[in-house]
Formats: sequence, structure tokens, C-alpha cells
Amino acid sequence: MNDRRRLAPRQDTRPCPTSSLSGLLAVVRTHHPDADLSPLQHAYNEAAIWHAGQTRHSGDPFITHCVAVAAIVADIGMPPAVVCAALLHDIEDTPCPPGRITERFGQTTVDLISAVRTTRLDEIPPSALKLGNAPKPLQPTREEAVLAIRLADRLHNMRTITFVPPTRQHRVARETLELVTPLAKAAGLTDVGRELHDLSSAVLRPATSTLAMTPPLLTVLTLLLPATQRARWREEWHAELRTLTTRGARTRFTARILLSAPRLTLTLRHPIRGRRW
Amino acid sequence: MGSPRMTLQTQLVLRALLEDPAKQRYGLELCELAGLPSGTIYPILARLEQVGWVDSTWEDPAVHEEAGRPRRRFYQITQDGAERARDALARAYQARKQPLPGWAARPASDGGVS
Repeated sequence: MNDRRRLAPRQDTRPCPTSSLSGLLAVVRTHHPDADLSPLQHAYNEAAIWHAGQTRHSGDPFITHCVAVAAIVADIGMPPAVVCAALLHDIEDTPCPPGRITERFGQTTVDLISAVRTTRLDEIPPSALKLGNAPKPLQPTREEAVLAIRLADRLHNMRTITFVPPTRQHRVARETLELVTPLAKAAGLTDVGRELHDLSSAVLRPATSTLAMTPPLLTVLTLLLPATQRARWREEWHAELRTLTTRGARTRFTARILLSAPRLTLTLRHPIRGRRW
Repeated sequence: MGSPRMTLQTQLVLRALLEDPAKQRYGLELCELAGLPSGTIYPILARLEQVGWVDSTWEDPAVHEEAGRPRRRFYQITQDGAERARDALARAYQARKQPLPGWAARPASDGGVS
């Protein structure tokens, strides 16, 4: 799942917006060359102070998530005020006193952050959103800004979903596929929509989308079967294998399937017609 | 539509499915119920499905996603299948009661005729 295409560059290839403030500032500068970037620096410091000590499921410091989300928001072309709110979008989960953000970043930013937290995605009318091909620099409406931050938040969560417990992975992926992906596409954010779709499908259909997870032997075995039936048996056996906890049990399961494959092939290729087999 | 050959293994699988005909079972569950290894179960299930005695469906997404695992294939005996299976099992049972040519009949104490 980690190898799927990403909107922003991967962390290990070069210093990039998802890992550093300087990268983030560079992205904002490409879209808004004349903007004053000092609020972003302050927002980063603020987030770093209050999120200090918090970690993600991956073990990464929480601030990496704030920066990554802000970078995606910046990449969409959002103005610095929205990127600022993106950096601070989880600040309410910290001991930061409520008045402090108002004092330093203004009421508009605080309102935007609250809207990001309270807006229900299924209540945003998709017709109200035109992010993909709007003239640059973007002057987003409140709804568009909220959506941009929420989408970026979800995109980064989906990129790092491997670290989340499986039960939650499936719930989040299902919601992403059914609700969030269509919104991203409706808003004209094709790349974001495509990546969300790919990442959530990979969670929901591991047997078909990550073939590598099926033991190669089982996959080879299914080649004996009629072509139309291969996917079904591969998926069925894969699901059973995943529930076996010991290596020995998995090996026995696979070996038994291997031994019976010719029999199954015969059964599937030669349906009985009124006679015994 | 023909009938499957009533081998001992097929009988065991049918018995497992008939234990609670309304219940959907997955392959490994049937292996345990029937006391058969995985390799034996699938060809039998495929055959039973071909002749219409058994139906199979994918697990409801809500359930397997909640459990955080890939979807399972579920098998359930059909109404027609249940009738024909009971019939076939009864016949197979009777057949076992018949002595093989040249062999003495089983003593009545060995199970008896119910």
C-alpha cells in the first residue's frame, strides 16, 4: 500500500512538504509568490508546541501530520490563511487555551478550524465546489476551504493507514471510498480523488488489489482452474488463509489445496449432466 | 441436474451443512464440522454447488470489514438440496446396512435399525 502513487513526493526521495516546514513554505510560494509567509511559521511553531509529545499510530511525532495536511492543502493552491488553519486543524485536541489561537491568528482562522471539525461531509453540496479548474490564485469560499482541509486530512490518514488497527482501517476505507472520494472528484480534485480511491480500495479488497499478499503457490494453483473461476477461488482461499494463525496451519491448508487442485479442476471443467461422477 | 456421488466425504459435508440448514458456513468451518481437510472440502462444495444443492455467496461487507479481514465465501444448503440430501443420506445409510455379497449381515446390536 505504501508503494501506491502519491500526490506529494515521497519522504525518502528528497526533502519534501510532507516532512518539513521549509518544503511546505516552498509549495505555498509557488502558488502565492508575494504572500507573507510569517503566519505559517507561527502556526507551525504553535502546532509544534502544543502537539509536542503526541505521536501518530505510526510512532511519528504528531506534528508531521499537521505539516503533511498543510502541504496537501497548499498543493491544491489554497491561500496561506487556509494553509495556516490546516497546520492548526487538530489544535483543539491539545491543552492549548482556546483564546490563544484567536489572539494570534484571528477569529477567521478559529472559525475555519471549528468548521473543519464540525462540518459533516455529506452535508456539503458538491455543486458548490470548484477547486480543480478555478482561476489561480484561488479565492476559496468557506465551504471549499473546509473541504480542502478535510480532504487533505483524510488523504494523509489514508496514506498512513497501515499503522491503524484493521477494524478501523476498513471502516475508514469504506467511508473514504463511498463518501470522500466522490466529493474530491466532484470538487474537481482529480488527483486527490484518484489517490483516495486507490488507497481505500487497497484496504477493502486486499485479495484482488494486492495480489502479492496471496501466497504465490495459491495463485499459481488457481491457474489450473477455468479462467472464469480463478479470482473467486483465489479470494476465497486467501480469506481462509488469513484467519489461520500459525504458519503450520497455513502450510497444511495450502498443501491440502495443492493436492486436491486436480480434483477441483476436473469438477469445475466437467459438470455432470444427469450422470454420476 | 444430476446427483453427486455419495462418497463418505460427501456425506460428511452434507451432514455438516444439514446440521443447521439455515446457517451459512465458510469453508474452514465446514472442514471442522465435517472433520475433513481443506483440500477435500472444496471439490465437494464445488460439485454440490454445480448440481444446485448448495448456494454460495460472498460475505456481507459490513461484517468482514468490521472484523478487519478479507471477505469469506459462505455456503448454504438450498431447500431443494436439503430434501435431496436427506434422501440421499438415508439411502446411503440403508446401503451400508446391506451386507456386501459374501459377507455376513451385521449383528442387530451394531447400531440396530431405528
